Amino acid sequence: MSTTTRGRHQPSRETRSSSFALDRRAALKLFTSGAALALASCGRPAEEIVPYVELPERLVPGIPLRFATALSLAGYARGVIVTSMEGRPIKIDGNPRHPASLGSTDIFAEASVLSLYDPDRSKAVRKSTYILAWSAFEAALLTQLELEKSRQGAGLAILTSRVTSPTLLGQINALQKAMPQALWYRADPVDDDAEITGTVQAFGRRLTAVPRFTDTRVALLLDADPIGPGPKQIRFARDVTGARQSHAAEDFLRIYAVEPSWTLTGALADHRLPLRQDLIRNVALAVARELGLTVPDASLPDSALNFARAAAADLKSRPGRAMVLAGPRQAADVHALCHVINAQLHAPIDFIEPIDPMAAAHMDSLRALASDIHSTRTQTIIILDANPAYEAPDELGLGELISSVPFSAHLGLYEDETAARCTWHLPLSHPLESWSDLRAYDGTAGIVQPLIRPLYDTRTTHDLLALLGGTLTTTPHDLVRATWQSHAAAGDFTAWWRQTLQDGVIAASAAAKVATPPAKMPQIAPAEGTSNFTLTLALDPSIFDGRMANNAWLQECPKPFTKQVWGNALHVSPADAKRLGLVDGDLVTLKTAHAAIDAPVVVIDGQADGAISGTLGYGRTHVGGIGNGVGVDFYRMRSAGAPWAIDNVELTRVGDNQNILRTQHFFDLAGEAKDLQPRVTLADLAKGHALFASVDANPATLYPPHNYDTYKWAMAIDTSACIGCNACVVACQAENNVPVVGPQEIAVGRDMHWLRIDDYVIDGRPGFSPVPCMHCEHAPCEPVCPVAASVHDSEGLNVQVYNRCVGTRFCESNCPYKVRRFNFFGYADGEEYGDLGADILKAVFNPNVTVRGRGVMEKCTYCIQRISAARRDAEKENRSIRDGEVITACQAACPTRAISFGDLNNSDAHVNALRHQPHSYALLGHLGTRPRTTYLARVSNPNPDLTS
Amino acid sequence: MTTAAVATGQAMPAPAERWTLPDARDLEAINRLVSAPLLESGSWTWRAWWIGFGVSSALTAVMAVSVLWLFLKGIGIWGVNSTIVWGFAIANYVWWIGIGNAGTLISSMLLLMRQKWRASTNRFAEAMTLFAATIAGIFPILHLGRPLYFYWLMPYPNTMTVWPQWRSALIWDFWAILSYILFSIIFWYVGLIPDLATIRDRAKTPLKRTIYGALALGWRGSARHWRAYEILHLTLACLGVPLVVSLHSVVGMDFAASLMPGWQETIFPPYFVVGAMYSGFAMVVCLAALVRWGFRMQALITINHFEVMAKIMLAAAIIMGLSYATEWFMAWYGGELADRNFVVFEFTGAYWPMFAGLLLGNVVVPQAFWLRAVRRNVVLVFIIAVAINIGMWLERILIIWNTLSHDYLPSAWRLFFPTIWDWALLIGSLGLFALMFLIFVRLVPIVSMHEVRRLVAEEAGS
Repeated sequence: MSTTTRGRHQPSRETRSSSFALDRRAALKLFTSGAALALASCGRPAEEIVPYVELPERLVPGIPLRFATALSLAGYARGVIVTSMEGRPIKIDGNPRHPASLGSTDIFAEASVLSLYDPDRSKAVRKSTYILAWSAFEAALLTQLELEKSRQGAGLAILTSRVTSPTLLGQINALQKAMPQALWYRADPVDDDAEITGTVQAFGRRLTAVPRFTDTRVALLLDADPIGPGPKQIRFARDVTGARQSHAAEDFLRIYAVEPSWTLTGALADHRLPLRQDLIRNVALAVARELGLTVPDASLPDSALNFARAAAADLKSRPGRAMVLAGPRQAADVHALCHVINAQLHAPIDFIEPIDPMAAAHMDSLRALASDIHSTRTQTIIILDANPAYEAPDELGLGELISSVPFSAHLGLYEDETAARCTWHLPLSHPLESWSDLRAYDGTAGIVQPLIRPLYDTRTTHDLLALLGGTLTTTPHDLVRATWQSHAAAGDFTAWWRQTLQDGVIAASAAAKVATPPAKMPQIAPAEGTSNFTLTLALDPSIFDGRMANNAWLQECPKPFTKQVWGNALHVSPADAKRLGLVDGDLVTLKTAHAAIDAPVVVIDGQADGAISGTLGYGRTHVGGIGNGVGVDFYRMRSAGAPWAIDNVELTRVGDNQNILRTQHFFDLAGEAKDLQPRVTLADLAKGHALFASVDANPATLYPPHNYDTYKWAMAIDTSACIGCNACVVACQAENNVPVVGPQEIAVGRDMHWLRIDDYVIDGRPGFSPVPCMHCEHAPCEPVCPVAASVHDSEGLNVQVYNRCVGTRFCESNCPYKVRRFNFFGYADGEEYGDLGADILKAVFNPNVTVRGRGVMEKCTYCIQRISAARRDAEKENRSIRDGEVITACQAACPTRAISFGDLNNSDAHVNALRHQPHSYALLGHLGTRPRTTYLARVSNPNPDLTS
Repeated sequence: MTTAAVATGQAMPAPAERWTLPDARDLEAINRLVSAPLLESGSWTWRAWWIGFGVSSALTAVMAVSVLWLFLKGIGIWGVNSTIVWGFAIANYVWWIGIGNAGTLISSMLLLMRQKWRASTNRFAEAMTLFAATIAGIFPILHLGRPLYFYWLMPYPNTMTVWPQWRSALIWDFWAILSYILFSIIFWYVGLIPDLATIRDRAKTPLKRTIYGALALGWRGSARHWRAYEILHLTLACLGVPLVVSLHSVVGMDFAASLMPGWQETIFPPYFVVGAMYSGFAMVVCLAALVRWGFRMQALITINHFEVMAKIMLAAAIIMGLSYATEWFMAWYGGELADRNFVVFEFTGAYWPMFAGLLLGNVVVPQAFWLRAVRRNVVLVFIIAVAINIGMWLERILIIWNTLSHDYLPSAWRLFFPTIWDWALLIGSLGLFALMFLIFVRLVPIVSMHEVRRLVAEEAGS
């Protein structure tokens, strides 16, 4: 406030004293005060304003509003519900009505609220180094458009990433109608070219397969990661883990996974075979042969052959309930072969028309663009929210080519690598500031509605396309309404629109199932064994394709298997590492015929020998202070012909070693893990008695018992359902104002996450258990605090009084679970990492949770603010809090519903039932801490043929 | 002691003969020897003193800067992390408080045990106690995340109507340190009074006469004074022994009253008392050697003093070795996996070289004291005493590092890497200690004149 007040008065004084001659100092002052006014927008306007006597409808200070909208990942929608506090979006939850969300989120959805307030976002139109007004661009564009119109758009090219928005597709169509020669190119780094070509080979047409995991009981996944990061993750994770809930073997989805490097699906699988990416097609062939199909003979190592035979026998025994899935890294013929196998198995897989209507393959589209620019056909290029200079394979040389186009404009959230190559850069509105519509992976459409007016002078893709169409007046809101006008029952569009906005989902808009012709056996040749390294690429589990690389929550989100943060690494198997003399952090040069990069190595058990892997999205150069220069850019290894698996990679040691920043895995285990993260099988459960010490055991204590006569909060976490996706970790961060500490602090071991996911490798198999505060009934942290800052409340919560904490850290010393976190610096209070202390980022804070200062201890509160909110509601209605009324942030985010929370004093509470399951256990229960957070052991259903 | 003892054999000479040289066998000689540095400072070159003063002032400045930086930036400047939330500050605290133990021990316990040789060492040992305990007392405050609120550990009426949490070992610790420091000041001062009067009487300038006179509280050496003095001194000594034991037991309980493997051990309180006495004695030996050399006190601090102190250190080294062995045995015998892994980690984990250094300094090297020749070689005794102090510091830091680096949940295990500020504060605190000690030797008689006089006089009178 004070800044802005000064800002209003100072200029007049300055101008008076200097007689309108501005020196540099005064000009800067004017500029900054003007900027402060524009940014903060909390200065009172110069004109007279009138306070409201009655509150505007819906807006009650302190009471959040929730709006449904949709966020895109790789172009596909995940429906979300955004909590807005006094006009500021602060938290993103899933939309239960949306098929790709089902009420849960992923880390990308959770983190996008931070991107909204990112100070590095592009804020103004820029031409070369000049900041200009939109009108300047409009003028330039209209002149250029006159030229293009005169040749029917023959020089006009539009490049987008995947478009599923019906409104945008309509606009592009209209533009192509107006200028028939104009060309639309579409390329997304997350392509589905192999999958689509596979259906073309098998069925003769472009189709998208949608597996129904809920109906599946045996699945063989060939390099496929349906529950890995991506637009389908939430849905598929829910379906897959849901099919693994039963305690009856015949009703429990058994998963066989064959993969070169760890995926979340591989970690969950009952059987996993690490195998080079190129040999996986031989597994498909072996399975096909076992199932009686006529396929060429393929050689496999014995272990892989046994695996394939056991899997095939299992698949065969469950017709109609078994499926084989190939992943996007496998070639089209493997996909086609899987379709043939699935047809034979009557696999529960539906087919729909591709949601992305463009027929050209993503890489082909890029190739076409490159050749069109090269042949100077392209004179005008408009790049809508795409970043080919970073994402496209180097061999196409798109970066240089784009800069050679006479008129180029880039619309994007950041002034990225492509923006630097374009004449014009235009700032794009964040999805939370925009009107639009989006389709989910299954075709379900949802309206994207803005939560907040654009923070800066930004526009949407719809605005820009309207501009290309020559209209300056239509708003995206009108455009989206117009798209759906015909959808509503006649005459009642307003009501339909309101209802749709409320639901966030357009009813009955999912794509219809398509009947497929009989699958045709493709021409498929087995792979020959090779001893060279094959590099497989994957989307990064933390920053996906790199678009959100400037998001600090994502950068600091530990990767599931390596727990690496703030960077990526090349994963190498222990045998290969030994052969090459590599240890964690060693820098190596990866070299192919067309590319070479340096990357640090992480040696990881379970990586197939001969397979090396890396994740995309890092090594950004033009994204902002958080993401620039972090990690290794594996996009550079891609070639247009081999975007996902690159053969014949040479690996040489550079000699340097680089510290791998990680939050776990500093020590080898010495057998503890079996007790800390027990694994059981369905056969163990069938014994029918408790497998572990009772969670209600009451070891002797000298202290008087607590009297929990109101509520008795407890959490139960089903580690069988935990896939390690980190949604809970980022959700907790968003809900509880958990600060980001930055790479330097991570290097000293000071991560602040209130909730971490422990990963223990037992018998070569990782497993995940989320570890929030245990809220022990006999909490070791409480008696050791000298100032009573760590105290027990009447409901059994172990609460931390920040104001009282003097920072002795005895509580964390004495916490056997090490879940407490200390503010060694003012991570959220004056000593933030990078630009995270910028004023604008204060908007993301949850006002119901204290922002902690330097020198105090903090930890998981079981989302006490949510308990309080539920208590207020209950007290208003003079009742007690119902089961399921309090949903913690981690619980809400979890795609697989692995986390349950409730009141133990309520005998009907779900959490009570879970605590008394036979495989329920308390972490370190033998210490007598009586933790309120308990776990269900990880259950698997191994095939006896493979275990014996 | 009687003259008969002198007559019967060389093995046990009379105390005065055993603990003083002939130069210091008459009362005036003792007074002259001790008061010379204070009253005839012109006859000394003070070159070594000035060098020491310069170095220790510089190191004190290092400490001041690191404390200032600490207050400005927060404890994040240290190597502490989310798992090993304690580090040098606590280790330094425990080490210094251990050193701060020996003065009281020499004064009180040896007084009660009628060990007359203590007379020539107890003054500077008590001063050492006072300075070490003061420095130790600083660390728990510096170690706080919000040091400005350290007084919340005190029970005082406040608007929050909150009292300290009495179950916390840190509160016990707070009281233990506070009472110990207060006690040390009183005990030291009471013992000083007759000597201050001696200095007053011998002072040649009116200023010195006035200052020492005021500090001597009107001591005239009358029989009534001596009687009152003896009663008070003995009473304080009786209070001091339990206090010193309780202080170190409580320091031990900071760790023992927890749940952590390697801490939660009933042996900790006694083991801490012995450890403290051990490191304190080692420090006294170091100071004795320096004082003896610096102030030409060979007549008062004899080779026999070093021998007897070496014997005590040898005994302590054996007790320490037994304590360590007991810990290892109990970890195995107790059967708790975390405890067993902890011991394995001590020997084979990332800190093993330090752990080896600890065993070497605390247990192995002091075994040299079995040899009479070593015990009677001041240089060797000095070197071994330094080794013991290093070993004890390693023990303090490893108690923290080993346990916190390797407790129950492997997912949280990590290592501690000290920063330059960790070292600066440790080295700076040594500088502050040296500075205080150097100032002390210029202001106060470094050997208790009246107690040595009594030793000699009893001899003469008997």
